[in-house]
Amino acid sequence: MRKYLVLASIVLTTAVVAYVTTYLGALGPLGLDTRYLAKLFLANTYNPAHRELTAMSPEAVTSIVWDFRGIDTLYETVVFYMAIIAALAIYRGVSYSNVRRGSGLSLIVKVVTKLLIPINIAVAVSIAAHGHLTPGGGFQAGAALAVVSVLLAVVYSAHSFVELGVNLSRAVALRSAGLLAIALVVFTPIVISALTGTQAYLMQNYVKVDSAFSFPAHVQSQLISGTLIWFNLAEFLAVSFGFFIIFMLLSLREEVVREWVGKEDEH
Amino acid sequence: MSTSFLENFLITLTLYNILATAGISLYGIVTRPSVTKKIISLTILGDTFNVLAIFIGFRVFSVPPVLLDLDGSVEKLTTFATSAVDPLPQALVLTAIVIGLAVNLFLIFLALQMYRLYGTLDSRRIRELRG
Amino acid sequence: MDFSLVLLALFSAVGLTFTYLAVVEKDLVKAVIFSAIQSTAYVAILYLLRAPDIVLVYLPVAVGLYPAALLFLIGKTEKVEEE
Repeated sequence: MRKYLVLASIVLTTAVVAYVTTYLGALGPLGLDTRYLAKLFLANTYNPAHRELTAMSPEAVTSIVWDFRGIDTLYETVVFYMAIIAALAIYRGVSYSNVRRGSGLSLIVKVVTKLLIPINIAVAVSIAAHGHLTPGGGFQAGAALAVVSVLLAVVYSAHSFVELGVNLSRAVALRSAGLLAIALVVFTPIVISALTGTQAYLMQNYVKVDSAFSFPAHVQSQLISGTLIWFNLAEFLAVSFGFFIIFMLLSLREEVVREWVGKEDEH
Repeated sequence: MSTSFLENFLITLTLYNILATAGISLYGIVTRPSVTKKIISLTILGDTFNVLAIFIGFRVFSVPPVLLDLDGSVEKLTTFATSAVDPLPQALVLTAIVIGLAVNLFLIFLALQMYRLYGTLDSRRIRELRG
Repeated sequence: MDFSLVLLALFSAVGLTFTYLAVVEKDLVKAVIFSAIQSTAYVAILYLLRAPDIVLVYLPVAVGLYPAALLFLIGKTEKVEEE
């Protein structure tokens, strides 16, 4: 009972303080105009007239994530890579091949989940492939596909990963393939310009004032926004299989893991 | 175009509610003994600051930062640039959420390992252990 | 008068309420459920703040993956927080 009194007093206090602040005008008038920087990004996100400035994508957030502030995202991906490596290091030596068959949940739940999983995968791929046109992208699609790993682990038990042929080394390989694809797209302008004797920048998307290199913005009049679609698809692989690894390890039975952890202490 | 008293009040109330949420989750991280509860509070704190960042980029009477017309005319681009919300905080928060999830999952793995080695997740009892 | 501002203030109060309930709750499973409800309120806030990208990434992460991982942790360790 006491906690509801405390809660009511917190909610009331914020309301009263907000009223007093507004009455006194302490925060000043509301700003209705966005900042100059925001206008710059918004005006250049899809602007065919200024090819040296634009990202050629109607989606301003994806443009910033992978073009205007691309290096930022590149290093965020590195942090993500390190976090998963650290989690794998705790479980070093744990093998996924001798997982016993678990019972999972009831038949009804299993059948419904079997219908839901293909839909979930289709939605995730669609979010990734249309990330440069509509809200979405590699991070969103990766998080959406990671839900499949949770469904598999909870509804069918950890053994279902083995049955589907997704073991730890394959998941790590798919994740590394995604990261390699990102590196490939990042270094392509440098390599091609070095071969042709011109100059280019890391993560360059289109022509710049002093560089002629450009990824194609359209393929047969379909807008693919240069590097954005490739980055989205690669990040989709990296993020989704990174989370697959985590939930595969989390769904292991505690006895199996303890065996390995105990073994290591004896050495 | 300016905002009324009620609109100002509602925006201020939202801001204060978000700040109070951050305060309560910080209180949870510091005072709760269970490591699991500390992790739950930490996820709430991270989410709250992400929402605060987007709230700062928000403007009343605006549209999402997605261009709907692709004909590239100057008038439409100008309308879009002056009417959409700030996309920069959204781009930063987008990566922060996914990276935050990966780091928090690593913390969950550390908590599991702590339980395997110490047999408890109560931070007061872990402090008394000698080892 | 923009009606979405009323909803914004309302959902932020819901988030505040369930954050407090999650922090003081002794049963950890209930605390995770309260935290998931708080996340649902935040999904609504992000939608009202015109951030469809963040809604798409935040919905699976905060309503699906965080509770699942925390429930795995609670299932393997302690269920109740002792005072």
